[in-house]
Amino acid sequence: MSANPQPSLLEELPGDLMMWVLIVSELLIFGAGLAAFLAVRLSDPAGFAEAQSHLHRTGAAFNTIVLITSGYLAAKALHWRTLAKRTAARMALVAAAALGVVFLVIKGVEYADKAAQGITYETHPFFMFYYLLTGFHAFHVVAGILVLLLVAWRDAPDNIEIGAAFWHMVDLVWVLLFPVVYLLA
Amino acid sequence: MMKPDTLTRAWIALIVFSALSMVAAGLVNNGFDQRLTGSLVLALALLKARVILSRYLGLADAPSWRRGFNLALTLFCLILLGLYLFPQI
Repeated sequence: MSANPQPSLLEELPGDLMMWVLIVSELLIFGAGLAAFLAVRLSDPAGFAEAQSHLHRTGAAFNTIVLITSGYLAAKALHWRTLAKRTAARMALVAAAALGVVFLVIKGVEYADKAAQGITYETHPFFMFYYLLTGFHAFHVVAGILVLLLVAWRDAPDNIEIGAAFWHMVDLVWVLLFPVVYLLA
Repeated sequence: MMKPDTLTRAWIALIVFSALSMVAAGLVNNGFDQRLTGSLVLALALLKARVILSRYLGLADAPSWRRGFNLALTLFCLILLGLYLFPQI
């Protein structure tokens, strides 16, 4: 008999199983939304391209950098906490949450710009999906900020691992959503 | 010079892939084929998602799960690519 038996498939999975169930569920929801967006585009590719030209790509690209960097800080926080560097971990989590706020501010400016142009979800099917997908994602950013601040307060390593995993899911959804909605001409 | 750690390398890779996505998307304005640039943008999105799963979410230490997620993500991106390219065929 082996002294070190191989871990089971579930034991191999890092972090909390329920968090992974949530991550997969969210990916399926957003994945279905993105696929539906491109499926509806089939009926009016020119209209979708024209509608997309009203979006601010540079602002959204900057937001990608903001979220990627925020995710990096959340991942570093877990690393530092496992090394018992509690202060560094807490500061990294608060900084990650602050970048989440930056993301929301830029998103708010983007929505305000659309409103000033008279663009609503009824303007074109493109904008219905735009508001639905980016709005639902922004809602997750708000939840993620609260979770990051909560685990910065209750900073047990397991808590930080779960909080950071939620934040990485928000990051993961954005890196798929951004190119489909903003970049695919 | 100190070598950056795995997480920092992942962050740098994500920044580079994001910059390349913007460049690829902008090539349409320079007369490049939309099908090519669109494929590039989706391929870079897939790469970014793989880095986040492997490094940020730690699936690099769970190869079976990483293979499963990578397969599902690749299939998903192929579906998106098919839907994107269909009107241009």
